[in-house]
Amino acid sequence: MSLWTEHLVIAPVVVPLAAGALLLLYDERRRKLKAAIGLASLAVQLGAAVALLARATTIPAQVYALGDWPAPFGIVLVADRLSAMMLLLAAVLGIAALVFSLARWHRAGPRFHSLVQFLLMGLNGAFLTGDLFNLFVFFELMLVASYALALHGSGTARVRESLHYIVINLTASLFFLIGAALLYGVTGTLNMADLAMRIPQVPAEDRVLVEVGAAILAIAFLVKAAMWPLGFWLPSTYAAAAAPAAAMFSILSKVGVYAVLRLWLLLFGGAAGAELLLYGGMATIAYGVSGMLAAQTLGRLAGFNLIVSSGTLLAAIGAGQAAATGAALYYLLVSTLGSAAFFLLIELVERARTPGADVLAVTAAAFGVGDEETEPEEEAGVAIPATMALLGLSFACCALLAAGLPPLPGFLAKFALLAALLAPDPVPGVAWALLVLLTLSGLAAVVAMGRSGVRIFWATTTSPPRVRLIEMAPVAALLALCLALTVAAGPAMNYLNDTARALYAPGGYIENVLTP
Amino acid sequence: MELIVALGIGVLAGCGVWLVLRPRTFQVVIGLSLFSYAVNLLIFIMGWVRGGRAPIVGTSAPVDVASFTDPLPQALVLTAIVISFATTALLLVVLLAARGLTGTDHVDGREPEE
Amino acid sequence: MLLVLLLGLPFAGSIAAAFFPANARNAEAWLAAGVAAGGLAIAGSFYPQMAYGQVLRFELEWLPAFGLSFTLRMDGFAWMFTGLVTGVGFLVVLYARYYMSPADPVPRFFSFFLAFMGSMLGVVLSGNLIQLVFFWELTSLFSFLLIGYWHQNAAARDGARMALFITSAGGLCLFAGALVLGRIVGSYELDALLASGERIRGHALYVPALILVLLGAFTKSAQFPFHFWLPHAMAAPTPVSAYLHSAAMVKLGVFLIARLWPVMSGTDAWMWTVGIVGLCSLLLGAYAAIFQHDLKGLLAYSTISHLGLITVLLGLNSALAAVAAVFHILNHATFKASLFMAAGVIDHESGTRDIRRLNGLYRFMPITATLAMVAAAAMAGVPLLNGFLSKEMFFAESLTVEGPVETLNRALRFIAVLWGMFSVAYSLRFIHGVFFGQPAAGLPRTPKEPPRWMRFPIELLVLACLVVGILPAITIGPILDVGVRALLGAEAPAYSLAVWHGFTVPLVMSLIALAGGALLYVLLQGFLRRGVEKIPLFPPVDGRRIFDRVLVALSWRWARGLDALLGTRKLQPQLRWALAAALLAGLWPVWQRGLQWGPLPSSEIHPALALAWAVGAVCALGAAWQAKFHRLVALILAGGAGLVVCLTFVWFSAPDLALTQLLVEIVTAVLLLLGLRWLPKRVPFVWTAAGARAALPRRVRDLAIAAASGAGLAAIAYAVMTRPLPDNPISRYFMERAYPEGGGTNVVNVILVDFRGFDTLGEIAVLGVVGLAVFALLRRFRPAPESTEPPPQQKEQSAASAAEDLLVPAIIMRLMFPAMALLAVYLLLRGHNLPGGGFVAGLTLATGVILQYMAGGTRWAESRLAIRPVRWIGVGLLLAAATGAGSLLFAHPFLTSHTAHLHLALFGELHVPSAFFFDLGVFSLVVGATGLVLIALAHQSIRD
Repeated sequence: MSLWTEHLVIAPVVVPLAAGALLLLYDERRRKLKAAIGLASLAVQLGAAVALLARATTIPAQVYALGDWPAPFGIVLVADRLSAMMLLLAAVLGIAALVFSLARWHRAGPRFHSLVQFLLMGLNGAFLTGDLFNLFVFFELMLVASYALALHGSGTARVRESLHYIVINLTASLFFLIGAALLYGVTGTLNMADLAMRIPQVPAEDRVLVEVGAAILAIAFLVKAAMWPLGFWLPSTYAAAAAPAAAMFSILSKVGVYAVLRLWLLLFGGAAGAELLLYGGMATIAYGVSGMLAAQTLGRLAGFNLIVSSGTLLAAIGAGQAAATGAALYYLLVSTLGSAAFFLLIELVERARTPGADVLAVTAAAFGVGDEETEPEEEAGVAIPATMALLGLSFACCALLAAGLPPLPGFLAKFALLAALLAPDPVPGVAWALLVLLTLSGLAAVVAMGRSGVRIFWATTTSPPRVRLIEMAPVAALLALCLALTVAAGPAMNYLNDTARALYAPGGYIENVLTP
Repeated sequence: MELIVALGIGVLAGCGVWLVLRPRTFQVVIGLSLFSYAVNLLIFIMGWVRGGRAPIVGTSAPVDVASFTDPLPQALVLTAIVISFATTALLLVVLLAARGLTGTDHVDGREPEE
Repeated sequence: MLLVLLLGLPFAGSIAAAFFPANARNAEAWLAAGVAAGGLAIAGSFYPQMAYGQVLRFELEWLPAFGLSFTLRMDGFAWMFTGLVTGVGFLVVLYARYYMSPADPVPRFFSFFLAFMGSMLGVVLSGNLIQLVFFWELTSLFSFLLIGYWHQNAAARDGARMALFITSAGGLCLFAGALVLGRIVGSYELDALLASGERIRGHALYVPALILVLLGAFTKSAQFPFHFWLPHAMAAPTPVSAYLHSAAMVKLGVFLIARLWPVMSGTDAWMWTVGIVGLCSLLLGAYAAIFQHDLKGLLAYSTISHLGLITVLLGLNSALAAVAAVFHILNHATFKASLFMAAGVIDHESGTRDIRRLNGLYRFMPITATLAMVAAAAMAGVPLLNGFLSKEMFFAESLTVEGPVETLNRALRFIAVLWGMFSVAYSLRFIHGVFFGQPAAGLPRTPKEPPRWMRFPIELLVLACLVVGILPAITIGPILDVGVRALLGAEAPAYSLAVWHGFTVPLVMSLIALAGGALLYVLLQGFLRRGVEKIPLFPPVDGRRIFDRVLVALSWRWARGLDALLGTRKLQPQLRWALAAALLAGLWPVWQRGLQWGPLPSSEIHPALALAWAVGAVCALGAAWQAKFHRLVALILAGGAGLVVCLTFVWFSAPDLALTQLLVEIVTAVLLLLGLRWLPKRVPFVWTAAGARAALPRRVRDLAIAAASGAGLAAIAYAVMTRPLPDNPISRYFMERAYPEGGGTNVVNVILVDFRGFDTLGEIAVLGVVGLAVFALLRRFRPAPESTEPPPQQKEQSAASAAEDLLVPAIIMRLMFPAMALLAVYLLLRGHNLPGGGFVAGLTLATGVILQYMAGGTRWAESRLAIRPVRWIGVGLLLAAATGAGSLLFAHPFLTSHTAHLHLALFGELHVPSAFFFDLGVFSLVVGATGLVLIALAHQSIRD
């Protein structure tokens, strides 16, 4: 094996670290250079992610023993299908956000580029590590970087919301520590695969401690995943954050989902606590829907849209079938890309508009303000300038994604999910409930997005915003990626179904990790 | 002795939680640091060995493992301490900034109505 | 393959159309017309296969994991619809070329139009349900865009919005229905579905599936009670209305019902739902149409009624009725399209659509008038026109219906006649109201005949009405035959298309209807002349108002309520939730299994430590008590608690922890001290009974949570401590290899820099990021106005020279710096073998630095020791990373450590493990980050 393939697994962590550190040595004025370094590092990460993805289809788990200490003694990085997929997603989002930020955001505060790199390092590490405490460390790195990015650009709203965000996540981190400590105290190991081996052998009288630990750990993850009632911080924080930061954050809440998926299935075979996920997820969907409709700004709308997707994911995972999980993973990809695009788009759209127009949108739709024939009826349309048309198109795409309507893959994701849920015989009651909830959430998305869309793009005749290509391109690219997922739904779904099956039968994973 | 330490952890955690739930930012900071003391101790006692020696081995192998306390939790605690130190510092600065921008030290950035 | 072309053509055209210049009316029209004509031609070329009842199929794998493939399937029925969609589409394009004004941005129009046509074809040609829903939703989307084309006026916006909400809601129901059907059949393929009618009708889920699917169909084809969006959709440009109402949008609903007729009809449930809804729309639409003053409004309501007719026919559970339905789909398309176009011409040429203002247009536009009259007559079902034939079929069916309710069966024939009368009445109104009477005065424009080619489509369609009406068997016969046989298959009944069936009951009914309708119109003259906007003996319900009200209630008021109920934007409730959740999560297993202590006996109590802990507990409680009003006190007390923790570490042989904890204590304390100054003065607490009472429940709740958490954690701790350690090969492994392989005797440190060096790498990254974040934040720091005022002490200082009163300590502290630097280096070097290490060393040095600041003030300090903290951070991280990566060169994994054995003259043999450089990186970073934070804060505090 060449050096490259041998050390491929470590690249997603070390490359951003090195890039981020290197960027610190250059002074703020070297903008071009910094951008170049950042993009280069991201390009490498993307390449590594793709390569890992390709290898993951053949090797159940590519293990990398750090410091040459074999598992379970040292820390190992493990790249399986799921991790590879998440790495790829993170890299894509990173590139989109970074390119977008080059228009102006990277000037809004010091050391932006380094922070992005460290955030990615945290994300990639969290996706790759096979060690519970190491997972904690990378969670913290990711979170600290996200605090810094949430604060990027400062301003009252950002600081106030970030304060909430930070306090809640610090509390959650303490939960994480308690849980991890208990698991170690009882089993005497931190390696995930080893834990999976040892937990069944824990004597009955100690088992309670394991479960307490696991339960508290789960709460820590569910706070990140923004499950109701633990996710109230999400909409405000994300709405307040700078657009590129928010775009990156749309994968952050998915990290919580990832952790749940990984540990819950690996350590407990997805048995205990499935109801918690299922009903919690459904409650989350309900909350998100109400929030979407009640939202008065696009930012909050997007935030609640994210909550709905989180809830859908949790519920789908809680259903506890490999097929549903596969569909859920497809949904994860789609919704993450979509909401990232939406967060970026919002900023461009907002530029065109006077603040408070959203409030108008709702109340006007509500009380029929400015309806009837009060307005002059000129029988000739106004030509929408190209930018406005482009923005409108993108907005429509985001709306379709949020509502799960064709031709964007949100539709296929929902179809796959529901088809999987309705498959068993007899159909479980919750499947019906979920069907209803998802339909309602789709409708709510149509109403909410349609309402503001009509107001923004049709009712107001503001001069089109000045949008630069490097701002529009990432949005378009993300949406194009979504469309590609519709067309290539077959292969993608196959990969994801294999992923789900592997998660439900972690034998291969454990074996690869524990046998040096 | 165990009981006393356990109770100590309990008291620290209780005070921490109480303070975390208070409305003033400074209270929250103090609360979080008390809570983190408790958690650090909890991790530490996972490697509890009665009368165990500090894990500093002699250069002459072999090592009689049983007579030492478990080093791994200590390492974990060290990492935890550092991280909680870092986040506390960040939180402190953020609350100062919030205080500066919103003009109040209430956690919600505005004084409660009543 | 042609199928793909057929479907792909419109979409390709749509994309192409979008890129034309805004004023390219002709080019656009040619493109669109070409596309439509092409589609028609392709469809035509399929006739032979269709005539032989073949089914063309094109399949492409799409989502095999879920049994979903992209299937195009054309049978006779789909073929018939394809012809309808493309044919009428072609005429509409032709018409639109002249209708759209040069000012309109036509690229958008034609682009949307073609995309819409494509989606229509997609639905018609779909070979499986999911794909059908896919295109179904697309039609909703594009119709929304088309209706809202003139979005600068509010009516268009609202009409479009309403259409979108209702139809896409229906679409979602249909989606659910399709899933249920797929669940029943076990496949989403249309063939499988059509093959398993028995199974579907017999299945327990039949009724839910039926209702869901029908919701989709009814919303689309504007059936009662979802009819109200259609009249508002007429805000669209007339060509769009002509298309939507005749051949496209609304026909989809009945298309779907017809498609599912063979498998789902034949039950009472079917008859009840489809039949009744159809009847309501039939009557309501026809009756309301009479009283419309807007030409397009009148036509819109008549559309509702005619689609009601089709629905009823499909709901009668009789094959002949189904044939009539299919036939009427075609007829309605022809005359309704031509009528809308005529209305558009009138609007275009005279500037208004209001029947009250239009009069005697016959003089100005005789040809158009004649055409319109013929079309309207067809709509009214006058003999020798196509409308008559399908109407006759309906009348015939109404006599022989066999529904579950006898009275209803009897009533149907009367209802039918009544409907006939209504249709005659509104058709008369259309003709008489617009074209006859004395010439209208004061119109916006003086009417004249439209351009030749604008009238051409109307002529063509009217001709069709006539020809079909007179010679049905040889003109429409074959086409209808193909469609019907494909739809009904074996059940296809014998039927005869003829104008004259002899003097039958249906004929009598028609005559009564004609006469009655005329009579009704005459009687209503008086009322209509008054021209009031109301419909007699009809509750004044406005669908749109209700819709808006409901929408507001659901999607705004309730949603806000729910949001407020479920959510919060305050921090405290969130934390309460989180902590409570964690608490419950922890309690649940204990509740399930119970928690018993371990076997080990409790070791004897050391009084000293016990005392220390007593102090510690008091400190903690005191801190909790004082944190609100006496911050400094609270800070000191918390520090006390920290010291006790520190002591515990020492006691239980964890020197590294103790050392680190101590230093962290100091630095944190310094940080908080620096911060305190910026916090507001706490107003002295005034105790009010009311306030206390208000706060009481909250405090009690918090106290409960706090106490429970503390108790829980204590219990867990005790349970763990009374258990023996699990057999733990990992720690043993570390102990045994720390020296021989890790090159250090301080196992904890070896773990940190070697065994689990990766953790440390992440950890220092965290520290670094915090440094950056703090720096970024404080650069923009704006202190609150009241605290910018420097505190009195500082004033005095600046008054009297600072150096004087602080001289002695200042000098001491200055002297301390080198000492501390030395200490730091010492700690760093011994770290690998004795308590110490990079982190501790770094903190020491940082503390030393901050001491200098305290002693000499910012300027003095920075003039003497020039530190660039950010650089230290970067270097530190790079050093650590490089050390780790170094091992890659020796083809070892990241962070593999090597111990180099150096020979130095003075020191002799020296072991330098690579981990040392790693630790050096840690050291550098810690100095940088901590220094950065401290300095940044110090800057703020010392600003004046």
